Amino acid sequence: MQFGVFTVGDVTPDPTTGRTPTEAERIKATVAIARKAEEVGMDVFATGEHHNPPFIPSSPTTMLGYIAAQTERLILSTSTTLITTNDPVKIAEDYAMLQHLADGRVDLVLGRGNQGPVYPWFGQDIRQGIPLAIENYALLHRLWREDVVDWQGRFRTPLQGFTSTPRPLDGVPPFVWHGSIRSPEIAEQAAYYGDGFFHNHIFWPAEHTRRMVELYRNRFEHYGHGKADQAIVGLGGQTFIRHNSQDAIKEFRPYFDNAPVYGGGPSLEDFAAQTPLTVGSPQQVIDRTLGFREYVGDYQRQLFLLDHAGLPLKTVLEQLDLLGEEVIPVLRKELDARKPEHVPDAPTHDSRRAKQDEEEESA
Amino acid sequence: MTRILAISAGLSQPSSTRMLADRLVTATGAELGDDATIDVVELRDLAHDITDNLLTGFANPRLREVLDRLGAADGLVLVTPTFTASYSGLFKSFMDVVDPESMADKPVLVAATGGTERHSLVLDHALRPLLAYLRARVVPTAVYAASGDWGGDTGLDRRIARAAGELADVVRGRPAEPKTDPFTDPTPFAELLRETATQ
Repeated sequence: MQFGVFTVGDVTPDPTTGRTPTEAERIKATVAIARKAEEVGMDVFATGEHHNPPFIPSSPTTMLGYIAAQTERLILSTSTTLITTNDPVKIAEDYAMLQHLADGRVDLVLGRGNQGPVYPWFGQDIRQGIPLAIENYALLHRLWREDVVDWQGRFRTPLQGFTSTPRPLDGVPPFVWHGSIRSPEIAEQAAYYGDGFFHNHIFWPAEHTRRMVELYRNRFEHYGHGKADQAIVGLGGQTFIRHNSQDAIKEFRPYFDNAPVYGGGPSLEDFAAQTPLTVGSPQQVIDRTLGFREYVGDYQRQLFLLDHAGLPLKTVLEQLDLLGEEVIPVLRKELDARKPEHVPDAPTHDSRRAKQDEEEESA
Repeated sequence: MTRILAISAGLSQPSSTRMLADRLVTATGAELGDDATIDVVELRDLAHDITDNLLTGFANPRLREVLDRLGAADGLVLVTPTFTASYSGLFKSFMDVVDPESMADKPVLVAATGGTERHSLVLDHALRPLLAYLRARVVPTAVYAASGDWGGDTGLDRRIARAAGELADVVRGRPAEPKTDPFTDPTPFAELLRETATQ
């Protein structure tokens, strides 16, 4: 089981002080969070991609390359990389470059993005979101696996005799997770390729996440990649922890009440009851997180959202300490004990390279 | 089993909009007979849930249950008060969180209440265009009840009976087709690829 953090990269005023960090502060804070994630024993750091204020992570591979240089173990990923508005050729090249620099500690989550104006800014149309995700990934998949590609499609200029460089490290393309909150087409896409499926699992009720994951698992088996319970599933989640649950609720409430995504809507209590948000003690977070596998099955990756809504860096780092010291060790033990033998771990560069070597030998 | 769901967007209690909804479902029930189940939902009870959905992007369990029932209904009765020359804001907010696909081809009876009969065209200039956009199958008779209609003989009961008869006819003449669930019956990937190439 892999644990990690994923960030949206919002620059939001701290409602308790009224202070808004500068972009420079927020960017450096994100790096500090990634370093801390490694220090407290987490496995993954994932950054979002956005191209409009108040978000800062427009350039994930630049940020992840910088973090790669300052970490040793951490897997660097995204949440998500926009497969609709980025050129798949540039994605192929950027992430292969990152993969070399990070010695293979790279995977990525592909997503469509949901902000209308971003599409035309990059020459696309949001109404074509699904077809863009399908065509662009079909090209990306080939660019990482075929040295010379001839290609023609609807959304970008044709390619004749094109080689994307650098080639993936050790001939092993970065592992891809397909992220979607509610589009069955994307679960189908992930299953077709035998790639991973990531559910953001923050804004929607558990029942919805369950349906998406179940669809992906059934179709993964349908396409012959293994049994349904061997499919590769990742989940998001959102926590705020203090030793005493009342302290957690009291401290988090002003951030929740003013958060751009849900401020002015449901109460903290209602939202926590309806979604995976858990605000409370380490034991409460452990119990809630263990409950996730009851509706998605044994899964491979759990990422937590910790650094949004204006929470100051100091608080976020304290959250990482609490997760690393008191929550994740228990979750690792409990989840590993419950996972049946035949359910695989999340793929890594090393495990995939070993599998590739094995296949070449037997061929 | 035929399922009719009435949605009343009245805000006061007691509510003339709810009264009109009740009259319409009683008349529709009489047309359809014992085989029909008919429920009335008051949006007033869901006002906070609807606003939360607009802000968070998802329906909480209480609202989800109503949206699911709406999706599964064989026919709808939609009744709104007239506010500022149109349907009420609560009614529109509710329609904004309804899955548009669940309205397509759905038999619908529209009705409205108002202080004066001078607003009766609200049904034609506000409700019908909204439901045309959603591709619903709106029956020809729409029922408007002004304050005065609850008194003397203005033909309200005849209009209700005619509209209910029209709704029952459409519902009866249109056996519910099983809806495809994209989660149990997904579009195969080869088809998604083909659609992408040819769209």
